[in-house]
Amino acid sequence: MNYVNIFTESQPNPSLFGGKGSNLIKLIKFGFNVPSGFIINTNAYVKFLESSQIKDQIHQTLSEDYNPKDVFHFSQKIENLFLKSTIPQEIIDEISKQYHNLCEEAGKSSSFSIRSSANIEDSKKFSFAGQADSFLNHKTLEEILSSIKNCWISLFSPQALLYILQIKKFDVNLSLNNVKMAVVIQKMINSDISGVLFTANVITNNLNQMLINSTWGLGETIANNLIIPDLIILNKKNFQILKRIIGKKEKKSIPNPEGSSTKLVETELELRNICSVNEYQLRHLYNLGVQLENKFSYPQDIEWAIENEIIYILQSRPITTLNEK
Amino acid sequence: MEKIGEGLSCSTKTEVTGELIYVQTIDDVISLFDNATGKICIVDDAGITTLSPILSELSGTVCTTGSAGSHLAIISREFGIPNIMGITFLTDDIASLNGKKGKILHDGEDKGILYLI
Repeated sequence: MNYVNIFTESQPNPSLFGGKGSNLIKLIKFGFNVPSGFIINTNAYVKFLESSQIKDQIHQTLSEDYNPKDVFHFSQKIENLFLKSTIPQEIIDEISKQYHNLCEEAGKSSSFSIRSSANIEDSKKFSFAGQADSFLNHKTLEEILSSIKNCWISLFSPQALLYILQIKKFDVNLSLNNVKMAVVIQKMINSDISGVLFTANVITNNLNQMLINSTWGLGETIANNLIIPDLIILNKKNFQILKRIIGKKEKKSIPNPEGSSTKLVETELELRNICSVNEYQLRHLYNLGVQLENKFSYPQDIEWAIENEIIYILQSRPITTLNEK
Repeated sequence: MEKIGEGLSCSTKTEVTGELIYVQTIDDVISLFDNATGKICIVDDAGITTLSPILSELSGTVCTTGSAGSHLAIISREFGIPNIMGITFLTDDIASLNGKKGKILHDGEDKGILYLI
């Protein structure tokens, strides 16, 4: 296969799989419990641009000078180019094959997450992270294909175009023509509880502590600051719970029963005032944190999710902000 | 100085002052594009991650929701800008703070306090 690679049969390769995809392959090699899936690699993105002949038009659009006020117009223009172009059949065939394999493995009722994985995320000086989109709770191949395109399009979102303008002020000339987008397709975890684990206390820069944010439902409520999650500080040496602050958790994100998206609902009142992770789960998270930090030899920023008492690792990357203060 | 809110101090513990700006949409970000310098941006649970394009010029960021693991806290740390997450304001009318001069102070380990000066 040229355009699609299965996690378990691939080697880490950021230029082919983007930062996130490459990192997930690494996590699986280390033996961590990552939801199964595959990656539409950056060759597929390049092939799509070339075969649909929109590459030149995008280059041309991006080479024009634009003002902050123009970003919506420019973004829309590029989005239209993508939308009117079709994904080459040979790429669709490869995706279709892996989609059906994954459906078989994951079971009939499964849904899937579609996550952007650009080959420039997490550069040291300027962070592109969080600019590109993810899509959750997809079931059909058609939905997935459409969101793959939307992941590609998100490279040219108004935010991304503004960001490029901004870093130009610092004489950093990043051309979106050189950025390539891989897309990760995974079995979606319908998390009962989810959160972030830092294997250092990032708010005080204390390397002898761990910091956990956790909440009910899907983790996007924490990333996108939709709620105040629970905050737990642990002693990294002996798992002592140093601090536990219950967040309001007024809302939670759940898979939309009607499909293809997520839904923000009110959290049950009795769940708001109790901690979303119990001590047993905290102990497991702590152990995972210790293992991940050891494997990567550096403090980690870990996204995790718990479904039916099983903990999944959705992402682990180095904490970018230690030793700066 | 009048205290107007308190939350979790999630980034560098420097004291900063700046004009308070309540940012709700990407249009607000665009209008701040060439004059964001020195401002303290306030956002709420509308959940924008769109401060990124102007973040490097801001003095500080404040959010009524979220915590240390939220994207806004992470990028504020990356840019070395003071940040308060999950702030509880003493006023219900956040928009009334627009244009006023604010100061972020840090108390103890992890408390961040916003004052009007």
